[in-house]
Amino acid sequence: MDRQEAIDFLLDHYENPRNRGELDHPDVSLSGGNPGCADVITMNARFGKDGKLEAISWDGEGCTISRAAASYVTEIVQGMTPEEIEAMSFEDLINELGRELVMTRPTCATLALGTLKKGVHEYHMHIRAAQE
Amino acid sequence: MLLCGTSTASPALMCFWPNEDVWHSWEKFKDDIQEDWETMTGTDTVSLGMSAGAGYVHPEVVVGTDWVEAMLDEPTVRLIEADEDVLLYELGHIPGAIKLDWHKDVQNRLERDFIDQQSFARLMSRWGITNDTTIVFYGDKSNWYACYAFWLFSMYGHQKLKILNGGRAKWEAEQRWMTAEVPYFDATPYYAQPANEAGRAYRDDVALGLKSPGRGLIDVRSPQEYSGELAHMANYPQEGALRSGHIPGAKNIPWVTATNEDDTFKPVDELRRIYVARDLTPDKDVIVYCRIGERSAHTWFVLTQLLGYPRVRNYDGSWTEWGNVVRAPIEK
Repeated sequence: MDRQEAIDFLLDHYENPRNRGELDHPDVSLSGGNPGCADVITMNARFGKDGKLEAISWDGEGCTISRAAASYVTEIVQGMTPEEIEAMSFEDLINELGRELVMTRPTCATLALGTLKKGVHEYHMHIRAAQE
Repeated sequence: MLLCGTSTASPALMCFWPNEDVWHSWEKFKDDIQEDWETMTGTDTVSLGMSAGAGYVHPEVVVGTDWVEAMLDEPTVRLIEADEDVLLYELGHIPGAIKLDWHKDVQNRLERDFIDQQSFARLMSRWGITNDTTIVFYGDKSNWYACYAFWLFSMYGHQKLKILNGGRAKWEAEQRWMTAEVPYFDATPYYAQPANEAGRAYRDDVALGLKSPGRGLIDVRSPQEYSGELAHMANYPQEGALRSGHIPGAKNIPWVTATNEDDTFKPVDELRRIYVARDLTPDKDVIVYCRIGERSAHTWFVLTQLLGYPRVRNYDGSWTEWGNVVRAPIEK
């Protein structure tokens, strides 16, 4: 993906955000960010009885990259298990968003995924503790 | 020289002339200081219009949104948007504005430096800019990158440079016309001057003047970066350094201190008070720095263009250089 394609890709997610809003009965609901930079993203997720992601949403404020990345993350985690989400790579995400462009703001690009991974990790720990 | 300062007992700014040895409030000195200021800066601010506008020493470099709107169809005026958020231009910009992409347009891709004289001339030509074009910069974050562009273009000798006061935020807040259409301009002849680096400082320049009483060193980063609590600016881990703290003797005056809530520059009296209160008077040889020289370019603009300080240099190597140099002295 060249620079212009990356710009078009991110702008599409920024202007047409996927899965933005609230979520009923979330298993995961965690806000992350850097208030000093006005980037605050909340990630909500709910898992089904089969252990896979059933629904996800995000909301928040921030720069174009942090919001576009949040939208994209909610697309790529569809149907994943908690283990699969926890294993997701920030490097892969940066590559998929367009490394040359988003490396100017790496913490913005990875804010949504980092928040989701942290929330899912806590949820996963509780599930495993309950099973033991 | 007028001396000013504050104390715990007297938080209001107090000033005195050494030969009188009597302290008075800053308010009393506001008028008296004018003559002294002109002597130190070598300018005649009264004739430049102290009673008009905000009274900046070079008022012609700051324009308002009404002026820009009236000039939208003027071919001798070119708008350039320079943002910190790299996608804002594509979402919409002032009609006719060009995007200056800091990561693509003006940086040397191999060495840590800016594009050279020939590359700068080619860039101006590609953007349809002649040596006589009036360039108006604007951008997000209180014109942070717009001032950085002003500083760089000044080095290559472009004469007619201006900043849209309040930048993109003010234009948007006033709900003025914006478009996503990218303008096209026919290539023009452009002759760039050899880089005049009178406004640029290198590491050795900073090091040699560390103990000079005539030197004023300003660290415009956040108090957390200055104190060493943070090794980099929030959200910019790639622009950190191995060591944290500040250059010895530097005074911390965050760049944003010079701006109002609506992203415009503060009035001249307030700006003077900010710097004079820290003994950073126009007779000083001033060097400003941040982490890569972009925030400090904003302060450079304020000091040179709005307050008329004659000797101000931007150390663009800044903390990402100083904080990585072996044996560079550091204070916390």
